Amino acid sequence: MALLKRKKASITKSVTKTKDCSQLRALLIADSAQDRRCAARDLIGCPHASTSLLEQLACEQETSVRQVILSSLTQIGDQPAVTGLVHCLRSEDVSLRNEAIEAMKHLPEAVAPIMANLLNDPDPDVRIFSVNILESLCHPAVETWLIDVIRDDKHVNVCATAVDLLGEVGSPAALTELNNLKQRFGDEPYIQFTADLAIRRIQGG
Amino acid sequence: MKNILIIDDASTVRLYHRNILEASGYEVDEATNGVEALEKALSGQFDLFIVDINMPKMNGYEFLQNLRKENITQSPAVMVSTEAADLDHDQAFYSGANLYLVKPIKPLQLMTYVRLLMGEESA
Repeated sequence: MALLKRKKASITKSVTKTKDCSQLRALLIADSAQDRRCAARDLIGCPHASTSLLEQLACEQETSVRQVILSSLTQIGDQPAVTGLVHCLRSEDVSLRNEAIEAMKHLPEAVAPIMANLLNDPDPDVRIFSVNILESLCHPAVETWLIDVIRDDKHVNVCATAVDLLGEVGSPAALTELNNLKQRFGDEPYIQFTADLAIRRIQGG
Repeated sequence: MKNILIIDDASTVRLYHRNILEASGYEVDEATNGVEALEKALSGQFDLFIVDINMPKMNGYEFLQNLRKENITQSPAVMVSTEAADLDHDQAFYSGANLYLVKPIKPLQLMTYVRLLMGEESA
């Protein structure tokens, strides 16, 4: 009986949500942060939800609402959501950038096809943030992407960030490029330090 | 012995800075984000903070703003970042930093500024 009630409630809620998408969009820009939080949560399933959520994310000042918006975008995980999150990586707002990085870590299937482009972005900061995304992105190509970065990227901090991560996830396949990187940045003590650390960790098993 | 708190989410960066500072005789503690750093600043006495900008939970700007706003300490703070944009410099000083350095930092560079900020070496 209880199960039947729950199922009925779930169906009713679903129908209500379908009917109320326009109302939810209005609530997403309401004065009350609680209304905005609820709308951000319930908009999942509405048509073009990602677009509405991203529009609000761009101007939302309340941290708790932003967190719900990012959580909803992560759950939706469609192309507009990922494109919007990539846009956040270019924001001057440090908190928004970090929140977008955390959200993208949970979207390996959606992020993987665009990772090569992100790692070749003209802005070195975007490339660094992309390496940060790889930190927790459960994808089989992570090590290959990192090796490509330390082989090809000219920016010392992009390479340094990639080496830090290779020290955690790298295999013997990374050793040649780690040694090449040490030669390429022979006058950078930090690169020598972090590459030596990564090599020792990899060789230590 | 003077105490320095390193705040950075990258463990390799923390270890690199720790090695340099400890080799010069400083006591070093670490925090991985601004929240952890504020807790340590509230319970301990630090003579200098080395603060990264991009960190989860609470970034470097927010940490310094809280540190100064709550008057927890006026000990000097070095903000370190991979970003060299003027906007980041401005925001760092507005947040309460005394110095802004762009990574990667060379050992001699770090020690020169650390000693200068703690009044141990003249400019």
